[in-house]
Amino acid sequence: MDLAEAFRNYKAKIVDRWVDYTLSTYQSSSFFKKEGDVFANPVGGTIREALKKLFVLLSRGATTEEMIAPLEQIMKIRSIQEFSPSQAVAPLNAVKHITREILAADKERCHLVADLYDFEFAVDLAVLAAFDIYMQCRERLYQTRIREIKTGSHILTDSACPSASLKNKIVQESIPKVESI
Amino acid sequence: MAVPKLEQLSKSVVQGPSLATGAIPTKDWMDIPVHFHEGNYAYPAKKEKVEYLNSQKGLFFPNAREWSPEDDDWKLPENWKEIILNGLKERLDKFRSLKIFMDCCVRCGACADKCHFFLGTGDPKNMPVLRAELLRSVYRNDFTLAGKILGRMAGAREMTVGVLKEWFMYSYQCTECRRCSVFCPYGIDTAEVTMMLRELLHLVGVGINWILEPASNSNRTGNHMGLQPHTFKDNVDFLTDDIENLTGIRITPTFNRKGAEVLFITPSADVFAEPGLYTAMGYLLLFEAIGLDYTWSTYASEGGNFGLFTNNETMKKLNAKMYAEAKRLGVKWILGGECGHMWRVLHQYMDTMNGPADFLEIPKSPITGTVFDNAASTKMVHISEFTADLIKNGKLKLDKSRNSHVKATFHDSCNTSRAMGLLDEPRYILDHVVDWVEMPENTIREQTFCCGSGTGLNTDEIMELRMRSGLPRANAVKYVHEKHDVNMLSCVCAIDRATLTSLMNYWNPDVRVCGVTELVGNALVLEGETRGELDDGLRTML
Repeated sequence: MDLAEAFRNYKAKIVDRWVDYTLSTYQSSSFFKKEGDVFANPVGGTIREALKKLFVLLSRGATTEEMIAPLEQIMKIRSIQEFSPSQAVAPLNAVKHITREILAADKERCHLVADLYDFEFAVDLAVLAAFDIYMQCRERLYQTRIREIKTGSHILTDSACPSASLKNKIVQESIPKVESI
Repeated sequence: MAVPKLEQLSKSVVQGPSLATGAIPTKDWMDIPVHFHEGNYAYPAKKEKVEYLNSQKGLFFPNAREWSPEDDDWKLPENWKEIILNGLKERLDKFRSLKIFMDCCVRCGACADKCHFFLGTGDPKNMPVLRAELLRSVYRNDFTLAGKILGRMAGAREMTVGVLKEWFMYSYQCTECRRCSVFCPYGIDTAEVTMMLRELLHLVGVGINWILEPASNSNRTGNHMGLQPHTFKDNVDFLTDDIENLTGIRITPTFNRKGAEVLFITPSADVFAEPGLYTAMGYLLLFEAIGLDYTWSTYASEGGNFGLFTNNETMKKLNAKMYAEAKRLGVKWILGGECGHMWRVLHQYMDTMNGPADFLEIPKSPITGTVFDNAASTKMVHISEFTADLIKNGKLKLDKSRNSHVKATFHDSCNTSRAMGLLDEPRYILDHVVDWVEMPENTIREQTFCCGSGTGLNTDEIMELRMRSGLPRANAVKYVHEKHDVNMLSCVCAIDRATLTSLMNYWNPDVRVCGVTELVGNALVLEGETRGELDDGLRTML
């Protein structure tokens, strides 16, 4: 039996444990794990869907480009939640350990653990890509904030009226600059 | 060998004050204190705004000061605890509903997973049942026999500064959207529990600026933005210039005109901020098309009522302003624009505060003759009801192809859907003006998900929190965007237009946001128009 077949056989088990591990990072995670409707449970549903796709890609050694879509699904959510960057990304790494553990527990397949190098390298690439996506999401968040500020509501609510600003300017200009003293 | 590594990985990511505990909580919820840091709280109200509000007749906003939620000392009044408990007692006596809500919850958990804040954060204190429990625990301790005798065993706890801080954290992680109430078998309105928490906090000077500043502006100039009459008029005039450039039609709306048949009131954001501006252009075109005898008011220049997010006295005062102006101008009835909480106040609270508005007439459409009996008490009709009636009676010439650049979906705004039952009218309008699809069933109509930033939480310093709480809504939009190429999220609420724009910028950047009346304006065929090809409807840059 080769590794590809082992991945096929254990796909559901590995993905289940991976999803379980990832969702355990939420304080109240039982609902996130239980509810299957992605609209009633966007965090749990999306993470389950994305990890399922990602495992198939990792197990066949897909390119980083192919992994971006499911990684983005996950990172877009975790990058705006109360996680540090490492906390946001770390669950991706867990699949290495979960896979090793599951294969090692199977007497007929435990020898395949030695063949996991390519799979684990693919996970490493996915983790690196996830960091890039994490930063892109943070960037987009800040851009969203800037765009909102630029729409102008704060100008009307937070700034002084023009005549008051002018008065401040006159006062400021009347103070001698350091160089001229 | 592998197992210890996995445990180590878990440990490496659980340090620091984070939700990522990686384990079942080991402490009771009462023993987990709140932790404030930049980004997880909205900025406190500015001292001068609180002072101004406190100086106004009928309003009470004590303890104006500079303070920060991150400080240990919140500079509360010395007798803060007494003030809070007396305030709670007064409200339990005054609002029978509060007393019932405090007593009748059986903690069945039907509401627990219905809150968008819980769904986006996984924080158990965002389950509506537990959010209410923050207040209920204090109620039990001081107002029930079981709580007085059994204390913590009966779910009671003493009011402490830590509890107060928890109230502040979680009453401002609730948008009072009332989705949880739809699922409560006892009909508990958890939004009203949040409202009580906020009222109590204001008694000791704990409030946020993004609510109190618009509330004070509204009290002073009549609108959230603090626009003075000439500025308000200028802004509407700019819109008429744009309309002339786009369609060749010159519209000359009137302001503060006595004797007009109808007073039109809409959120001020519609006349000054994108994308609401295009909705306001839609109103202007619609009224021109039917020759409505109406006037704008530069005093009642705001539909929104931030009093709803503050306390009942402020809500009453801001609502009264609209009716005082209707009386002054001598109009027959009021037409209301696309606003959210203005309608909640109208339908659920106004009658016992300022109503019924007996000096006005039961609204009757001068174009179709339809009498709006549903507004017999408030005398105020929603623009979507009014427009749907015009379409049904064949009074509008509409060219749907003018919206061929749009594939829309419709977001039911929490207040209009759950608080006034406005579900089918906007859909009927959309059917006639644009190609559109529904979002999944459990995210629309009564079950609609909040934009995530209502009740005055639309402030940029909590952008991450807003993106979390808006996730359930954004997730449903993503689905129709990917499946049906939806590129426009339409709605009938000004706060939605502002907040959903940011939400889409983050989650679904290819989807824009508009008001339903903007789509009506796009499709309207007017007599005498010299309109060219407008690739982007009223948003076309010429």
